[in-house]
Amino acid sequence: MIEVRKILGSIGLGILTIFVIVAIFAPHIAPYNPHQIYRPMEHPSSSHLLGTNDLGNDILSEIVYGTRVSLFIAFIVSAISMLVGTSLGLIAGYFDKVGFLIMRVVDVVLTIPRLPLIIVIASFMRPSTWNLIALFLIFGWLMTARIIRSEVLTLRRRYYIDATKMIGGSDFYILWRHILPNVVPLVVVQFIMEAIHVILAESGLCFLGLGDPVARSWGMVFHYAFECPTIYVSDVWMWWMLPPGLCIVFTVLGLTFVGYALEETFNPKLKSSFRRMEL
Amino acid sequence: MTLLRISDLRTYFPTPDGIVRAVDTIDLSIRERETLGLIGETGCGKTVLGLTLMRLLQSSTKTEGTIIYKGTNLLKISEAEMRMIRGEEIAMILQNPTTSLNPVMRVGEQIAEAIQLHQGLSKRDSKEKAIEMLDAVRIPSPSQRANEYPHEFSGGMKQRVMIAMGLACNPSLIIADEPTKGLDVTIKSQIVKLLKEVTKERAMLIITHDLGVARALCDRIALMYAGELVEYATTRKIFEAPLHPYTRGFLGSLPRNGLVPIPGMSPSLINLPLGCRFHPRCANAKAICRKKHPGMVEIEDGHFVRCFHA
Amino acid sequence: MHQISKLAYYFVIVLIILSINFFLPRVMPGDALSYLTDPGADMPVRMTEEKGEILLAYYGLDKPLSEQYINYMVGIIRGDLGLSIYYNDPVLEVILSRMKWTLLLVGTSTAIYITLGILLGATSAWARGRKKDMALLISILSISSFPSFFIGILMVIFFVVKLGIFPLSGAQTAFATYSNPLEEIFDILHHLVLPAATLIISHIGGTYFLMRNSMLGVLGEDYIMTARAKGLSERYILHKHAIKNALLPIVTMTAMTAGFMVTGTIFVEMVYAYPGIGNLLYNAVSYNDYPLLQGIFLFITITIVGANFIADMIYIRLDPRVNHE
Repeated sequence: MIEVRKILGSIGLGILTIFVIVAIFAPHIAPYNPHQIYRPMEHPSSSHLLGTNDLGNDILSEIVYGTRVSLFIAFIVSAISMLVGTSLGLIAGYFDKVGFLIMRVVDVVLTIPRLPLIIVIASFMRPSTWNLIALFLIFGWLMTARIIRSEVLTLRRRYYIDATKMIGGSDFYILWRHILPNVVPLVVVQFIMEAIHVILAESGLCFLGLGDPVARSWGMVFHYAFECPTIYVSDVWMWWMLPPGLCIVFTVLGLTFVGYALEETFNPKLKSSFRRMEL
Repeated sequence: MTLLRISDLRTYFPTPDGIVRAVDTIDLSIRERETLGLIGETGCGKTVLGLTLMRLLQSSTKTEGTIIYKGTNLLKISEAEMRMIRGEEIAMILQNPTTSLNPVMRVGEQIAEAIQLHQGLSKRDSKEKAIEMLDAVRIPSPSQRANEYPHEFSGGMKQRVMIAMGLACNPSLIIADEPTKGLDVTIKSQIVKLLKEVTKERAMLIITHDLGVARALCDRIALMYAGELVEYATTRKIFEAPLHPYTRGFLGSLPRNGLVPIPGMSPSLINLPLGCRFHPRCANAKAICRKKHPGMVEIEDGHFVRCFHA
Repeated sequence: MHQISKLAYYFVIVLIILSINFFLPRVMPGDALSYLTDPGADMPVRMTEEKGEILLAYYGLDKPLSEQYINYMVGIIRGDLGLSIYYNDPVLEVILSRMKWTLLLVGTSTAIYITLGILLGATSAWARGRKKDMALLISILSISSFPSFFIGILMVIFFVVKLGIFPLSGAQTAFATYSNPLEEIFDILHHLVLPAATLIISHIGGTYFLMRNSMLGVLGEDYIMTARAKGLSERYILHKHAIKNALLPIVTMTAMTAGFMVTGTIFVEMVYAYPGIGNLLYNAVSYNDYPLLQGIFLFITITIVGANFIADMIYIRLDPRVNHE
């Protein structure tokens, strides 16, 4: 069983590395500029490996550049959410009065269903990458804050905290040197879970048409494919829908495998057990 | 009449760090209505011995030797046959009643299910019997309490419930694993009194590290160290004339004897010392103790010791 | 006592949601209405002066804010959710007419995926580490990486386009007349299979993992050993001792998930053009039908909050330990 965990983790890491490399070196990997227009609705050929879309853009280039957008959104939302969530979680767990307030807010916002609210807000806004990022950030830190807080509550009772206080350690010192390092494994796992959630949610929003039409993420490429009335005719879907869809699937798969491997490594009895978060 | 005879019993766990020899060649026997005490430190393998008798260990563990119970070798029978023995012929009362009871099942039901299964009584009849058992272990208002959940019982009462569960099908042998652990002194003596009544009718193997309890309940005592028995005699002989240095050390560590600890730590069951397993901690260790492993020798009638210098 | 504080808590949440709904269009950059009447805006539905007036009246933007708020709240209580721009009918009516399909879809899918998830999760936990467990685990992990709409589309491509054994869209065949009710039922079921299958596949992961983890936790508990020591069979222990304990967290999650299912159906209904609330939401978004959008949001949110509340109530009833705090 330990073997399986390691294998899965490695596979996941491998997949993610490939995507990150593609994202970073997009201009060198993509054959064309994704906004450049050629003959529309072309079938795959030697000049356009995945054909062209209804506007005439090369689909392969779209997808390569789309890697940047999709990964960027996921990464930045997760990173900031972790920063905010961990900080608030640490504070909430350590300082009771403030903590109570923070947790009430968290509880309330968590009860409001995420996706409908995001959809509604997004429909009122101009579709853009940064707007989406902001929207996801509203919710991204919540679960992390809660989990970190509850871990801090447990850690506080450990003896070495009292010992440190007795030799004059300040609260900040305790938080920084003693509590934070213990909390890091949880944060890492939460990062991955949030990234997964964002990728799926973002692709969902794009599918609804709420994504950025200029910086086209995989979800948007998929959306335009879906909107095309002849998509099922003559197998157009094979090179226009399948590639972006599969990119999403493999990225999530990679993240899932890594998350699974990490979770079992850190602590088989982790409370934040690996369950899929609903959209 | 010998009820149970254990010969040459070995239980090993393969682990990534090596083989754990939890039970390393044990010979024991228990007669009908006799109470045998198995005493030792935490981690010496006593619970594993109990679990081995019940065949409750995981399939990855290796068990060898023979366990003859009423003429049958328990290690050779099928799982289905063993299941019929568990609870009905041999019952084990596990440690820690708080976690050993199902929190979402009523207490009466937990006692009744074994009765229903083994004795084929109807649901109603087995419930009646369960209430009788609760009464037998002196739980007040048993019919009412049978409908309650474990968290509504105090520690001592939970222990009684465990005993009631063990007695439910009238087994010939009860294995009690640390029945008084964690209980206060007054509750402890109540449980001991209860157990004393229980053993009037049946045999018991009591696993404990509490010498006081052992003295009160046991006819014979076996001391276990690092997976093997080091001394085995009647209770009187153990307390009055202990022969093995470990036994002496153990007795010496009692409060009334001065609370003198045995120096050193018990060995890991993976890397056992060569020769006598106790020699690193023994004040009388001689050269031979480091090299040769002593066998169990019957020094006097019924008094066995594993030491070159007894 | 628990019940009352929970009730108050959820009431507050509903109030907050209603307020969000109220402030949202008023807070967005620019006047929400200029969005619609601006001829430069990319919109499939052109706004006439008339429609503009209706919207203005609906939002009551000419009156002071506090009055607007009160009117809004009163309207909600009376069930007036405004007029849909696209459908030209009261929002509430539009929503209610679609609700039955979503209920059908969500209802059948939830029942099936939860049962399957529990069974598979328990099987996995019971066979921990062995081939069955690993195979199940990896398969379900992989399937869970697919966005629900992608699964839907793949199913459409395979079963509708390629094999032609299922219909492409709708809840019933359009303009169909039936000679007997059985025919109608069969037609509905025929249209239900793929959407339900899509929902089931996309949601089974959650329940599976939760059940598996929960079971693993339970199987490691001492009282399972006690049960074995009593000579009970493995099967009996699984059913009477393990599953009941493992099921507790599932119950809570289920009721919560039932709420989330409504949002999950958005994508599925879109792919299959299934005339439920999810599809309605999509249309509302596409046509910038703000009153309808808000109405649906309200509707969905209150449903989910309601589901959460019920989940809490059920859990309190189920776990005997909770009552004694």
